[in-house]
Amino acid sequence: MNQRSAVYLDLLGILLAIVAALVIGIFVIFLVSDEPVAALQALLIEPFTTLFSFGSILNRMIPLVFTGLAIVVVFQSGVFSMGAEGQLYIGALTGALVAVYLPEMSPWIHIPLVVLASLIGGALYGFLPGVLKAYFKADEIVSTLMFNFIATLFVSYLLNYVFKAPDSGGFARLPFVQESAKLGPIFDGFPTHAGFLLALLAALAVYLLLYKTKTGYELRTVGKNPLFAEYGGIKPKKVLILSIAISGALAGLGGTVEVIGLHGTLKDNFSAGLGFDGIIVSLLARNHPIAVLLSAFFYAYLQVGGQIMQANSDVPRDLAIIIQALLVIFVSSQAIFAYLKQRKLMSSRGGERVAK
Amino acid sequence: MADLLEMRNIHKVYPNGTKANQGVSFSVRQGEIHALVGENGAGKSTLMKILFGLESPTEGDIFYRGDKVVLKSPKDAIKYEIGMVHQHFMLVPSFTVAQNIVLGSEPTKGVLSDHQKAIAETQRLIQEFGLKVDPNAKVENISVGLKQRVEILKVLYRGARLIILDEPTAVLTPQETDELFQSLKKLVSQGYTIIFITHKLNEVMEISDRITVLRAGKTISTLITSETSKEEISRLMVGRDVLLRVEKQPAKPKETVLSLDEVSYVSETGKQVLNDISFQVRAGEIFGIAGVEGNGQTELIEVITGFRKNFKGRITFLSQDLAGKSIEEIRNIGIGHIPEDRQTRGACLTSSIKENLILDLYRDKSFRRGLFLNQKKINEHADKLIQEFDIRTQSRDTLAGALSGGNIQKIVVAREISKNPKLLIAAQPTRGVDIGSIEFIHKEIVKKRDEGAAVLLVSAELSEVMSLSDRIGVLYNGELAVILENSESLTEEEIGFYMLGVKKQEKRASAT
Repeated sequence: MNQRSAVYLDLLGILLAIVAALVIGIFVIFLVSDEPVAALQALLIEPFTTLFSFGSILNRMIPLVFTGLAIVVVFQSGVFSMGAEGQLYIGALTGALVAVYLPEMSPWIHIPLVVLASLIGGALYGFLPGVLKAYFKADEIVSTLMFNFIATLFVSYLLNYVFKAPDSGGFARLPFVQESAKLGPIFDGFPTHAGFLLALLAALAVYLLLYKTKTGYELRTVGKNPLFAEYGGIKPKKVLILSIAISGALAGLGGTVEVIGLHGTLKDNFSAGLGFDGIIVSLLARNHPIAVLLSAFFYAYLQVGGQIMQANSDVPRDLAIIIQALLVIFVSSQAIFAYLKQRKLMSSRGGERVAK
Repeated sequence: MADLLEMRNIHKVYPNGTKANQGVSFSVRQGEIHALVGENGAGKSTLMKILFGLESPTEGDIFYRGDKVVLKSPKDAIKYEIGMVHQHFMLVPSFTVAQNIVLGSEPTKGVLSDHQKAIAETQRLIQEFGLKVDPNAKVENISVGLKQRVEILKVLYRGARLIILDEPTAVLTPQETDELFQSLKKLVSQGYTIIFITHKLNEVMEISDRITVLRAGKTISTLITSETSKEEISRLMVGRDVLLRVEKQPAKPKETVLSLDEVSYVSETGKQVLNDISFQVRAGEIFGIAGVEGNGQTELIEVITGFRKNFKGRITFLSQDLAGKSIEEIRNIGIGHIPEDRQTRGACLTSSIKENLILDLYRDKSFRRGLFLNQKKINEHADKLIQEFDIRTQSRDTLAGALSGGNIQKIVVAREISKNPKLLIAAQPTRGVDIGSIEFIHKEIVKKRDEGAAVLLVSAELSEVMSLSDRIGVLYNGELAVILENSESLTEEEIGFYMLGVKKQEKRASAT
């Protein structure tokens, strides 16, 4: 079996998982709803029927691409960082501070500065648990989860007590960002902001990094077989810290793009789990950076569909969450893939070369 | 004589696509020693795993005493009196011999396990089968040969009448192998039946009654041992004639390349694993290290290659001190290293062949174009090595793990030899590899020597050390017991005495 046929089988498995999750979701709708057809139409079709709802899908997809990519980088390096949520907040904070408190200037300078600040903020916040893991053997799953609390609460504290915009009332936020730091719509009249283009660029960059560069070879080799990497002279500790820092930079950029693209300011608790959604997006994409674009789109589509369904029918949006959960369960069941592969090989038995 | 067991038309396809068995048929008679031979990847282990209920066949039937049986787990297998001794021991090191033997089906007194009875049972088995071992000894303190006896006793305790032995002699000294064979003959005389998986044709000829040869997942032939020869079996295994001896010219050693002076190493657990080791390897010679596994071979290599720091003594490579150098630096100064375990260290099974082949080269500037790796050059390099080293694969993008052990090892050998090392360290270079690949790898190692490289060979396979090496050192208990010139008159028995610590060369006064 070579890599290509393995990829096709993976793809087939994921499509089947999606279909299975949707079928069960539809079944549940028929069970609970008095108007199942309207609910289904709202969930599955209406997201595509207006420019506004389609634009919302793309807007929702943007942060998911960034956090999904963040997870792809660490998972491919064999690091189980759950820290995208915290890194997203820290990156959003450093980016937002530059966006709000630097004076008005050319957007061609201001936006890159904001981006740079968020990359550095996120990267540093990934670097810390990386060092703890590499030199103090602190389990990265635990440490990054704890770091998430620290980041969320630290940002919340700053927003409420240090940088709070005087006019923000009960929902703490920073003052609005400078006009020169804002990401406008992709083109006039379309609801999706230019962060979408940044997300596409990020996916391409992560793809090139992982598959076409020396660093990517090191990251993937350590992820696949750390003993082999060590034997080849790759330093696993260096790779560990690097991967989680890159991951943090991506998540941080995702946070800042929300700030300067969608909200126009840094709001308290604006993320509500984007970092964790990234894990699902990455899982659905089988840790491939380009596939993250598709899985983030699909994930966002389910969310928008769920909202429309809640507004237009008697089915609550939680159903969309049920479908997401089912999807996670199906996609993670490796056994299905194993079974499919075995079936395929049995049917072609005798035909192709023997794998000795 | 009626067949005790018959496996008919067995197919097995693994989820990763490997077709391990493709219509194997195999039968065993009561009271025989039946050798199952074949190249690595021929499907022997898979067939036995199916028989022991560890894998289920994709197709095919198993008959035991004429009845069709379905073996879903080792429990089922034990129900039909089938037992298996695995290649890698499955014992609890901190338990005693008796505890290990009864583990999982302990005799009980009420709800508590009856330790006295366990010892008595063990004693009874030891008496009955003449497999001498102390029931109260801790397993971690006994030798490999004894551990194997414990495994066999474990299987007998569970009532097995048909015993599968998966490459039982791989880790034994010649003397221990002899003792094992005595025990097996005794078991057979008591009506037990034995299936013996092996690569080693000498042993097949010595011990078996009948031989079944597998090749590429198919049964090639079943032979009666007394009516066949080693040459015929090897031809059936490989499908062509193979040289069973390594042909090489006498060595013409030149300058010293690697030198160890009084090297000692204490492991993390405080054990003295290497004790005062001194030897030199010269350009153009193969220095072989023999010894029963676990006598310091692994640590010796890891100390030289930079995996383990903090050793005492001096290691010099062409007048450079290797102490404190990183693994990367050591790889870059002209040392090639075929590690002892290709599954975990030598290769990355989930990466493609070409990615396995650039483990060093990805750092090389000529393999890059600007920021990116030079894919074209990487592909060309992979194709060239696949061709030169006869790696049997569909393409350079095939995952290494989809290949047979022999072909994976060829990837490792290709990578390490193609970097033109001045010193080649080859640890267990042909372990678990088929005869055809062994021949090929041996030739490559000798070729490297003739081109002027120094070769340090470490192998648990005594015949390999003897047929390749120009000089032989024997490691026993972390010490270099002796260094011998290899010659026609040197016998396996002689080396065996040093391997077991029966004999030891007196240290010269200068060494102390």
